[in-house]
Amino acid sequence: MKLFYCLLLFVSPAVFAQKTIQGKVTDHKGNALPGANVFLKGTYDGGTTDANGAFAFQTSESDTATIVASYVGFEAFEKKISLKESMPAMSIKLDELANELNTVVITAGAFEASDEKRMAMLKPLDIVTTAGAAADITGAMQFLPGAQRVGEQEGLFVRGGSGQETKIVIDGMIVQNPFFSSLPDVQSRGRFNPFMFKGTSFSTGGYSAQYGQALSSVLLLNTTDKISNNGLGISLNLANAGLNYDYANKNQSVSAVVYYGNLRPLFKLVKQNVEWLHAPEFKGSSLTYRWKPTKNGILKVYGMYSDSHLSMNSNDPFSDSGKTRLVLKNNNAFTTSTYTDSWADGRWTINSGLSYSRNKDNMTYDGVNFDRFDERTQARIVLTRLLTGNNTILFGAEAHAINIGNGVDGKMYRLKDRYTAAFVESEIYITRALAGRIGVRSEYSSVISRANVAPRLSFAYKTGRYSQVSLAAGQFYQNPDYRYLYLNKSLKYERADHLILNYQIIKNQRTFRVETFYKNYAQLVREFTGQPYDADPYRFPWGTTTNGGDGYARGFDFFWRDQKSIKNLDYWVTYSFVDSKRLFQQFAQSATPTFISNHNISLITKKWFEKAKTNLSATYAFTSGRPYYNPNNEEFLKDRTPAVHNVSIQASKLQSIKGNLVIFYATVDNILNTRNVFTYRYTPDGQTRFAVGPQSYRSFFVGMQIMLSKKAKVEKDDF
Amino acid sequence: MKKLFTFAVLLVFATGIAWAQNEKYTQAMGDGIKALNSIDREKPDPKSLVDIANRFERIAAAEPKEWLPKYYAAYANVLLGFVAPTLSEKDQYLDKANVLLKDAEGIAGKPNDEIEVLKAYQSQIHLAADPMNRWQADGEKFQGFLQSAKALNADNPRIYYLEGSSLFFTPEEYGGGKKVAKPTLEKAQQKFNAFKPASGIHPDWGKMETEWMLSQTN
Repeated sequence: MKLFYCLLLFVSPAVFAQKTIQGKVTDHKGNALPGANVFLKGTYDGGTTDANGAFAFQTSESDTATIVASYVGFEAFEKKISLKESMPAMSIKLDELANELNTVVITAGAFEASDEKRMAMLKPLDIVTTAGAAADITGAMQFLPGAQRVGEQEGLFVRGGSGQETKIVIDGMIVQNPFFSSLPDVQSRGRFNPFMFKGTSFSTGGYSAQYGQALSSVLLLNTTDKISNNGLGISLNLANAGLNYDYANKNQSVSAVVYYGNLRPLFKLVKQNVEWLHAPEFKGSSLTYRWKPTKNGILKVYGMYSDSHLSMNSNDPFSDSGKTRLVLKNNNAFTTSTYTDSWADGRWTINSGLSYSRNKDNMTYDGVNFDRFDERTQARIVLTRLLTGNNTILFGAEAHAINIGNGVDGKMYRLKDRYTAAFVESEIYITRALAGRIGVRSEYSSVISRANVAPRLSFAYKTGRYSQVSLAAGQFYQNPDYRYLYLNKSLKYERADHLILNYQIIKNQRTFRVETFYKNYAQLVREFTGQPYDADPYRFPWGTTTNGGDGYARGFDFFWRDQKSIKNLDYWVTYSFVDSKRLFQQFAQSATPTFISNHNISLITKKWFEKAKTNLSATYAFTSGRPYYNPNNEEFLKDRTPAVHNVSIQASKLQSIKGNLVIFYATVDNILNTRNVFTYRYTPDGQTRFAVGPQSYRSFFVGMQIMLSKKAKVEKDDF
Repeated sequence: MKKLFTFAVLLVFATGIAWAQNEKYTQAMGDGIKALNSIDREKPDPKSLVDIANRFERIAAAEPKEWLPKYYAAYANVLLGFVAPTLSEKDQYLDKANVLLKDAEGIAGKPNDEIEVLKAYQSQIHLAADPMNRWQADGEKFQGFLQSAKALNADNPRIYYLEGSSLFFTPEEYGGGKKVAKPTLEKAQQKFNAFKPASGIHPDWGKMETEWMLSQTN
C-alpha cells in the first residue's frame, strides 16, 4: 500500500519545481528568427520566439529532455539537454532549407513562363494579354530578348539564327508543322491555342542535351494536366467561330474543340495589301484526353486535324505580269500521347511519348502543281533519378521516322530519314549557391549516314539573395535543309557552338536580366551555281553543295520588368543587339543574312482597370533595317531596308451576362498606319524594285469568348 | 491474492495515467481553440496567430495519433496566409498548411470532410493572394475539395459557408456578389443551426462569419 502512495506521489506533477528554459533562436548569420516554435519533444511545454528571437517557457519535466526548435523554411533543430533548477540561456542556430530564394537555378539562355515556378519571368496569361502578339505563342515570343522580328516569314529567329534553326517541342515531342502552311511573303500563325499550355520555356541558346536538331533555339511547351472549366464554351470573332466542351471527373478529363474560320469578313473591313482570290478558309477539331491511373501518373492523348484552302495573286518580280496566281490546300494532322509517372517517393521519374504527324499541301503556283508532303513518327523516353542533395541524373533516347516528299507537276521527289538520339545529363549542386549541368547528346541520321556527339554544359552561381550569374556552352547539330539533300546525300551536319553569360536579379516583382553571347557557325551548306546570285526565296537549290560555310553571331540583350512601382500597371522593356555574318547558301563572300536586324526593341505595358474589369495593353516594337539584295549594288547585301515600327493596343473586358462569364476583346495593330517595308525584291533585269510589306497596315480585330461552364455546373440540390 | 491486488492497483494506475493524459490533451486543445476564437476577426494579429499555430504543433508532436492538433495548426497557418503582408510570406504559411493537412489526413487514415473543407479554404486563400494568376487553377481545386467534402458529409455547414463566401467576394461581373451569395449563405446558416460538433474540440468555425456576411446582404 505504501508503495502505491509513493508511486502516486511520484507521478503527481505538483511536487516538481517548475524550471525555466530560455534562449534565442537565430539563423547562421545571427539574425533573429521571430515566430519560431521551441518546445520539449513529447510534451506540451514550449513557446514562441518574440521579435528578437528570444524564447522562455516553463517545464516540470525532470532529468533529460529533447529540445526542438522549428521555423518555416529552416531545418528543425533537436538536442538532448539535462534539466536543472537554473539553466543558462541557450543559443540555437537553425540551418536554412533549400528553397527557391536560396538555391541557384540554371537559367542561362532560358526564358520561362510558368505559374508554378516563382522565379519565372512571365506567366502563361502574359502570352494572351500582350498586344501585338495576336494571342499567338510565337507572336508573343518575338518580343522576348534574343528574338529578331522578321515580318514576312514565320518561325522564331533567335540570335542571328534563321527560322529553321528553332524547334518547337510539345511535352518533349518535336512538332513537325508548328505553323500554318507557309505562303510567299506572308507570316503564318502558329497552329496551337495558347490556353493548352501551363508552361512555356523559350531557350535562346545553350539548351539541355535533352533536345537537338536546332542550331539556335528550342521553344518548349508543356500542356496542362487538368482542365479548368467544366462545360461548354463558345468563341466568336471576325475570323472564326468555335465551340469547346470540357468534361472532367476525378481521374479523367476530356476536352473537345471544333472551329470554322473564314477571313473574308475581316478582309472586307480591313484593307489588304495582298490580292486574295479565295480568302483563307479553314476548319479543324481537336480532342484531348487525360487520365490519372496512379497517384503521380498521368496519361495525355491529344489529337488534332485541320484543313485549309486559300488562293492569292502574289507579287512576283520574276514573272512578266509581276503577279503569280497561287492556290493552296492543306491537310494537317498531329497526334501525341505522353505518359509521365514517378515512384519510390519521387526518386524515379519517367517521361515517355509517342507521336505522329502528317501534313499535305496541294499547291498550284503559276499553273504548275507543287505538292508538299511530310510525316513524322517519333518515340521518346526519359528516366530521371533524383539523388541526394537535389542532384539529378537523367537518361533518355528518341527515335524518329521522317518521310518527306516534294512534287513538281506530278513527279514526286522523296526523302527518308531515320533519326535516333540518346542523351544523358546530370544536374549537380556543389553548394546551394553553385550548380552545374553537364550533358552529352549523340545522334544518328540515316539520310546522311552520319553520327555526332554534342556536349552541353552550364553553370550558375548565386551572387546574392535575389541575383545570380550563369554561364552556358555547348555544341548543337542540325541536318542540312532537306531541299539540299534531294541532290546531295553526302552532306554533313551543320553545327553551332554557343557561349552565353547571364546575370539576373529578381526582387520585389521587379526583374532585370542581361545576357551576352557568342555563337560560332561551322559546316554550313554552301551552294555553287556558277551563276549570279538568285534572290528568289522559292528557288529550288540545284547547284553543287559542300559544307564549306561558316559564320558567327554575337551580341547581348537585356530585359527589365516592373510590376510594382505603379499599382495595376505592369511593363517590360527588351533590347536585343546582334551582329552576325555568314558564308552560306549561294553567298560568294561572308555577309550579314537578310533575316538579321541589328537592333530589336520592344516596350510592353499592361494596365488593369479594376472597376471596369478591363485589361488594356499597348506594345511598341522597333526593328532596325535588314539587308536586302540589290543587283545594282556591287557590294553584296549592303543595302538596308528602313526600320520597322509598330504600335498596337489590345483591350479585354470581363463581364458576367446572366451568370455566364464573357470575355470581349479588341485589338488594333499598327495604330499609326506606318507603311512598313520588310524587304525589297528586284525584277530579273534589275530595273524595278518591289517592296514586301505586311498583309495590311492598320488593322483591327474584335471577338468574344463565352464560358457557359459555371451555369452548366450548378445542380438543383445545391440550394 | 497479493498478486491479484498488485495487478488491480497497476491496472487502475495505468488507466488513471491514460485518463489524465487524455484530460490534459483535451484541456490543451480547448485552451488553443479558445485562444483562436479570441483573435480579433477584424484585424487579426499575426504574432498571436503564429503563437497559436505553434501551440497546436507542439500538441501534434506530443500526440502523434491525433489528427485534430495538425488540423488546427493548418487552420491557423491558413489564417496567417491571409494576414501575412507579402506574397512570399503568404505562400510560406499556405505551403506549411498544406504539409500539416497532409499529415492530418495520414493520421485520420480515412477521408474526412473537415480536412477536405480546410483544403478548400487553403485553396481559396491561396487564390486570394494572387487572383489574376491563380483563379483558374485554385478555383478548380476549391470546387474539387468542396465536392469531395459534400460526398463525405453533405451536412457540414462549412462547405456552404465557403461556397457562400467565395460568391460573396467575387465581383458581380464574374457572376458573384452579395445577392448571388445570399441563398448559399442562408443554407449555411441552416446547416450551422443543425450542426453539433463530435466533441468540444472538433471543428466548429464559420458560423460567426456566415452571420456577418448574411447581415451584409440585406
